[in-house]
Parts: sequence; C-alpha cells; structure tokens
Amino acid sequence: MSILILEQAKKSDLIIERDNFDQYVLNHCAKYLARKEGEPRHNYNGELADSDPRAKIADQWRFPIIDSYGDGSGNPACYDYNLVTFVYAADDAETEHRISVVGTFANLYERLPLQQIRFAGEATRYYALSVKVPKGQVHTYKFCVDGEWQLDPINPQTAKLDNGVTWSRFFTQSCAVPLTFERWERVILERLTDHILPFHTEEGERFLKNYYYYLDRDSKEQNYTPVYRLDEQVGVVNYIDKVLAREERHHLIDYKICLAIIDQLLRQRRRGLEPDRQSREVYMDLYRQMACNDVVGWDYHQYGNPRYFLQLVRRHTITGAFSHPKYGGNISGAGWAFLGELFCDDKGKTLFDWRRSIEYPLGLNEEYNG
Amino acid sequence: MQTHFDAVIIGSGAGGAPIAHTLAKAGKTVLVLEKGPLFLPQQHAPSGVSDYKRDELLATGAEKRITLAVANRGQSYYASHVEPDLNDEPHIYRETGKFNRRTPGDYATIEGYTAHVVGGGTQLYGAVSLRFSETDFQLHSYNEQRTDLKNDPNDDVRREARDWPLSYQDFLPWYEMTERLIGINGTSENQAKPFRADYYQTPLDPNPISGYIAKGMDALGMKRFRTPLAVITEDHEPSGRKVPRDPDTAKTGYVNRYGDPLGLKSNTWVSLLAPIKDLPNIELRANCTVTQLESDGYGNVNRVQYRDPSGTMRTVSGKVVIVACSAIESVRLLKVSALANHDFDRRIHQNDLLGKYFLTHCFGGARVRVPERFDKSLSLDSDWATEFCATDDYLKSHGLWAGAAIYNNTSDSALPISLARTLDAQDMDTIWKSFTERTELTGDQLLEWLKEDFGTTLSVAFMANQVPLYSNRIELHPTIRDKWGMPSAYIIKDWHSHDVALMDTIARECARILEKGCDLAEGSVQGGGVYLAENGLARIANHILGGARFGKDRRDSVLDVNCRAWDFDNLYVTDGSFMPTSGGANPTHTIEANAFRVAHHLLGRL
Repeated sequence: MSILILEQAKKSDLIIERDNFDQYVLNHCAKYLARKEGEPRHNYNGELADSDPRAKIADQWRFPIIDSYGDGSGNPACYDYNLVTFVYAADDAETEHRISVVGTFANLYERLPLQQIRFAGEATRYYALSVKVPKGQVHTYKFCVDGEWQLDPINPQTAKLDNGVTWSRFFTQSCAVPLTFERWERVILERLTDHILPFHTEEGERFLKNYYYYLDRDSKEQNYTPVYRLDEQVGVVNYIDKVLAREERHHLIDYKICLAIIDQLLRQRRRGLEPDRQSREVYMDLYRQMACNDVVGWDYHQYGNPRYFLQLVRRHTITGAFSHPKYGGNISGAGWAFLGELFCDDKGKTLFDWRRSIEYPLGLNEEYNG
Repeated sequence: MQTHFDAVIIGSGAGGAPIAHTLAKAGKTVLVLEKGPLFLPQQHAPSGVSDYKRDELLATGAEKRITLAVANRGQSYYASHVEPDLNDEPHIYRETGKFNRRTPGDYATIEGYTAHVVGGGTQLYGAVSLRFSETDFQLHSYNEQRTDLKNDPNDDVRREARDWPLSYQDFLPWYEMTERLIGINGTSENQAKPFRADYYQTPLDPNPISGYIAKGMDALGMKRFRTPLAVITEDHEPSGRKVPRDPDTAKTGYVNRYGDPLGLKSNTWVSLLAPIKDLPNIELRANCTVTQLESDGYGNVNRVQYRDPSGTMRTVSGKVVIVACSAIESVRLLKVSALANHDFDRRIHQNDLLGKYFLTHCFGGARVRVPERFDKSLSLDSDWATEFCATDDYLKSHGLWAGAAIYNNTSDSALPISLARTLDAQDMDTIWKSFTERTELTGDQLLEWLKEDFGTTLSVAFMANQVPLYSNRIELHPTIRDKWGMPSAYIIKDWHSHDVALMDTIARECARILEKGCDLAEGSVQGGGVYLAENGLARIANHILGGARFGKDRRDSVLDVNCRAWDFDNLYVTDGSFMPTSGGANPTHTIEANAFRVAHHLLGRL
C-alpha cells in the first residue's frame, strides 16, 4: 500500500488533467464498451479467436484513445503532440480497483495510476488516464490491475520485445515506423500502389520533381523528417502499414498471404530477379491479371480471389494518398498539393485550396485547431 | 443522483432540444437522456480541440463488416464516428427486389440513422432549413376533388393523404422562433410562402459554380432564393456565438456528414443546449440509452429505464416524458415498452397505427459536368433554391399531388476521397463499390478521371412528399437484436406508383435547370429518382418521418394535436414521427418548430 501512495504522489508532467475529464472519457468509450454480455459481433475475418472477449467490443482499435492535443491556449507547439487516453473497464462499478499503466512513453517502470471515472457523481466501471505523447512514436505498455500485470484487454495491438515478452502497443499520429510489413513486402506494395496512383504520369513526375524532391533543406527537415521513405509515393504504403495495424487489422491476413504469393510468382516469372528489380511492365501485367482474376502462377488454394485483394489495395491506396497526413500517408499534404497544383485557373490560382480549410501549421487555417 | 424531474426528454436533436431549451429557461427541472456522446466544438472544449474534425475518414471511416444473420452478412460498410455500429445496433429493412436486382431478403442498413450524439442529426446535416409550403399542411383537402393524378389507379392518394391538424399559419410563429434561435442564413424574397418577419442572417457569397444554377433557373422562369442554411454568418446573439473575422472560414468541403469543429453550423447543441448548460435546473446525461418506458396503469409513464455509460440499468421519472430519438428509434422504443408492459401496450396501441405510415421523402435529382473547374472545397451545402415545383399551377398541370423544393448541392464530391468513394453511387450502403471495381482507373486514366470530375460536377436535388401508405411501417424484427438484447427495428417500405411518377417528373426539372444553365441540348441530361438506386427501397436520406402521426381524430392518429399519445396523460413524441405527410422540403426545421410549439403547450401544464 505504501508503494501505491508513493506512486500517486509522484505526479508526472506528462499526465494531462482537465475539466470534464470524466465526460471526455465516457464520450469516447461508452458506445464501444457498454453492452449486455452477448455474442462476438465484432470479429470480421477470424482475426480474433471467438473466445477472445475483444470480439464483443466494437472498434477495439480505438483504444487507447489517440486524439489531438491542445492546452486550450491555441499554442502551436501543441501540434507536435497527441493526447493518449488509456481506458480500463472493470466488470462492475461497485468493487474499487487499483489500476496503473507502465509504458515506454513515461519513465521506465513508473506506474501511472488510472483514475476511476464518475458519471453524474457516481462511480463507473471505467478507469482512465490521459498522457501527452509526441506524434510519430510507437510505444509499448502494460496495465497493473490490483497488483497483477496484464496486457490491455481491449486494444488488440501487441508487440513482442527482443526478450520474447509480449506487451500491448500503440502508436501516435503521423507515425512512420514500419509496424506491419517487412522490407520485401513494402517493395511489392509500393510497385502496386505506384501503378494505381497518378504520380508516374507526366504531371505527376513534374509535381514530384518540383514540390517534393527540390524543397529547400530546411523545410525538408521540418516537414519530412518523420518519413522513412521520402521517395515513396506520398506515403501510401506507410498508410497501409498503419491502417492494417489498427483500424483494419482484419485485412492484415489478406496482405500477408497475397504479398507472399506475388513475391513467389514474380520470382518464378523472371527467374532469379528480385521483385524490386523487375520492370514496370511486369507489375502492369500482374495488375491486369489480378483485375481479371486470372493470374498466371497464382496459388488459388491459398487465396481464391486476387481481384478482391486488388480492390482492397485500390481503396487503401486512394485513401492513403488523400486522407489527412496524421494517418501516415499524404505526407505533409503532398497528395492534396498535387491536386492543388494540377488544378489552377488561368491566372494560376489554385482550384483546390485545401490549405484554407486545414489547421495550421499543416494548412493555413488559424481558426481551426485540428 | 437526481431521479425526478419536471420533464424527462429522450433525445437531444431537433425534436428534443427545443423543448429542453424552453422548459429549462422557464425554470422547470429538465433531464435530457442522450444515447450518444457529448462531442464539443472547439469553443466548449477545455483543450481547444474539437471532437469533430475536418477529416474525411471521420465522415466515412474504416471498413467494417456485417456479421449479423442477414442477407448481406459479410458485406462491408463504412460509418461515421457518430453513427452506430451496425452489428451492435442494426436497422433491418425488407428488400423485395421490386425496383432493382437485389435478392429479396432482410438486409442490415446504415440508412435511416441520423447520428448518435448530442445534437443528433443536426450535427451532420447539410443544414438546409426550409419551411414547408402552405399546401404541404393540407394535402387531403388539396387533392380531395382531383381526378388528374398520375399513376394512382386505386385512388390511394385521395384516400391516404391527410391534412395536418394545424395550418402553415399556425406554424408561422414557431418557424420564426426557430429561425431566430437556431441561427439560419438565407433570403425570404422569392420564397412562395408568406413571411411575416425575416430572421435570416445574410448569406455568404455563393460558390461561383452555382452561377450555372442561377442561369438555368432564370432561363426557366423559376424564382430563386438563397437556400436557407443553418450556418451562422454573423454573430448570433441568442446562442452567444461569434463569427471569425473572416466569415468565409465557414466554407469548406467538410460540410454535409461532418460535425463542425468551429460551431458555426447551427446544431441543437450550440444553438439551444450550450446556452442553458449552466442553469442549475437542467441536466444532460450523455451516453445513456433508454431501454423501456413503464406505465402506472392510470395513463402515466411513471418510470423511464435507461442504461448508464457503464451499462448499468437506472430509472428516472418525470411529470412529462418526451420521446424524441428519431422516428424509427422512437417507434421501436414504444413497441419494446409495449412488449414488456401490458398496460403500456393497451394504451399505445389504442388503434393499430403505431409504426404505420412511416415516411421518408421522394428525392433525387440530376448531375452534370460543367465546362469549367471550380474550387468546390470552399462552400456550404447549397446556394440556390426554388419552389417552382411547389406551386398550384405546376402541380395541377403535371398531375402531382404535392410539390417539391429544388436546390443545388455545392459541397458534394468536393474532396478527393469523397469523389472516389461516391463514384457512381451517392449512398452509404454502396460507397466505395464502384471505385474499387473500376480497376481500369489507374495512372493516366485515374488522372483523366480526376481532371474530368474534380471541381466540375454540379448537382441539383429535389425533396418531395412521399405518399403515406399504411403498409409502409416500422416493426420489431422477429430475430435480430441489438447489443442490449432488444429487438431491432424492421423497416418495411415501398414506393407508390405515384411517387415514381413524381420523382421522374421533378428529376426532369432538375435536369432542365442544368441543361439551360450549361447551354446543353434539351434532353441531354438524365435525372433520376432514388427508387432507381441499387438499394432504392432502403434509401431514406436520413429523413425519418411518420410512424406516430398526430391528428384530431383518435381513430386516425397516434398522437393528439399536442403530440401527446392519446391514451397517456404525460407521454409526448416530438421527433419527425409526428408528421402525417413528409413535406416538400428537408424536415429538421419543421421538427424544431413543432418541438417549440409543444414546449409552449407543456409550459401551460407544468
């Protein structure tokens, strides 16, 4: 008990306490967690065991809650951080628990206590804690529940550390650390997404040359440091890497199987030649064959519908190229800037003034805080 | 925790918030129970960041899949962050395959939800805020003597059309109150309805693409006016909201289906609830789902059961209980309560009309590519509207029972992802389908498609009355249940042959506006009604109306003229379900006006 008191006294400056914290937490967790015990309604593709209690939780991937960070003053320095809120749901509100979290986002082994959330003045079964974490980071953590260490029972993301121990994992926005794909998988996916996107057209090449490669050094460092592959097409593969780690974890299996099949068949087609050294035409052929669901050398026993996979890649590619950069693609708004430069009136004024709507410093809107 | 109130209001959207606002200001104790979260605009959030974002993946999020035992099990769906999870809280509709190639069966659909959040559908709406026309209130009288109606061989229209128990004149003061308190911009000149006073704020300049619409409407002699939009363009005294130095900041591509982080879109939270939130006599309990109403055997609802944010069952009581959780969900709540309680059942089913005459709108329109490109990402939802198709002359010369509002959309397909996911589709059930299937769109061809469609598409939409039919109804589904174990709503509806004729006729008018506006040959633009869509039977446009209509005759209505359930003393229903006919315009404004009217009736008894 004395240890606990000591821990609680040691308030870290990364903990964010706010007015209406209880309301904030309930707003972001009740819809997903509150329910009568029931069927596993949320297992889409066998990504969870049916006995996994997570299958009863909607949108498990939303936990911990990753949100924009602001301190109420509009201070632009806040833009570099996310507000990360851990939530633990006990079985009922009556028994009081001691819950804390330990993770790489805080001092090593520093236990940060979760506080019991109240509703209309009474205890709920939820415990929560908000911390401020820089964007672009990956962290591992565990909960300590009444003295017992455990993984986050909601968040399905885990990471196996070098010592073989599994921890829960989260990553903040604009994250460029590879989480899902091996290098060889990224290479194939880049080639496929290349083929879909319009950046290898004449206009696309010109844009990349002007806007992307020849930025002055300062703005390159400022804007693009987090990018692990600057030459990669506006970060689409990074977006897919992240969406498969979080929101659409149920599609991870499609990618893993299909990329392995493609790797194998490309090696067979051009004996000995690495897939990343094969020509554009090879990928164009592959794309066309997948679109027809008739791919020479495809292992249909392993994956029956290459066209379905291609459709999935199409949706993810276009989403990655043009969604908000916080999701990991459209780096620094490069996809938007491409459209903004492509579409101008005869006086050179853009006809897609995306910066006007989007928060500063990514865009130019100083009213909207993102 | 306080458990007794003067009024318990279920739902914080257009039907509930005006009552909460009125009663709380008059000093009554009020509890608002809202299923969804309290998502705040920047000015109310301690962090200064809103729960709403200009982010395309919030409006149409990650892929999920239907896991329920329904005909479209395994199908992908994409919901916004404030729409329900379909597997947890499904709406099921019956597909007959009558208008399209879909296999008959029971389908889960994301259609027919407004939004589960404080403010309800007013958080996501495009904010078009038209009054209904004078004729909309009297469609029985208007059609009683007519023999000229198109495609109505069984005289259904004359048999089923109902007058509202109140006229446009009766609604006038409540429309005015709504326009003043909600905060709406627009122009009254050229609107066909009589105006006593003009409370509109000044509209912002239209998006230049709407010039084609103005030209087309003028060429056709259609009197036009700026579409009334619930977006403030000036400081709004009743809600205390201030407009940024540059009011054009309100213009963005993130309009329809997006909550507004700046709080300029006038939803019921910023307009009606935030201004009273600090009064000691009002309490808003968000994240609370009402599961049952109980009656005391003497005509009073004496207990309201709800699940708190932990899922724990709680009860409260009120001198009056107001149900306003959108028509489908309100009917479901009343029917679920009837299943559990015999006295409640007997009273709410004093006739068999509860859930019957469910309504949405006849809607549709036309769309073209204009010859120039515009920045559609700097716009509000609509710029120009006309009531050309709502005049007596028009209806009589075209054999139609009721009129329509026509207005253009400016913010649709304004952003790259929305352009892709709505390719060849405009609804939520078939989103992304066409883009993923059109695999030839890559590289050069993708670029060509962007050049053709980005900033160049212009659409005109209409909103018209749907013929009320007894067979269009909300029931409880026999097998599918929600995450609380309650039967899900079962939507059974069809389009009447006159609806089809009406949609064809008015869609043609929309097409003509575009033909004239863009100097195209007559007949070159194809318009269409929603019945033509792949899921044309499910489509609701989030206009969820009828199912508990009000009226003067207890044998012919579920609610009396004050929206009180006939055999209850203290139970009121004030969302869109009270409407006997759906009106020829978007419904939010009329739902709010009616709720203000009921609120003032309640003041007389509390």
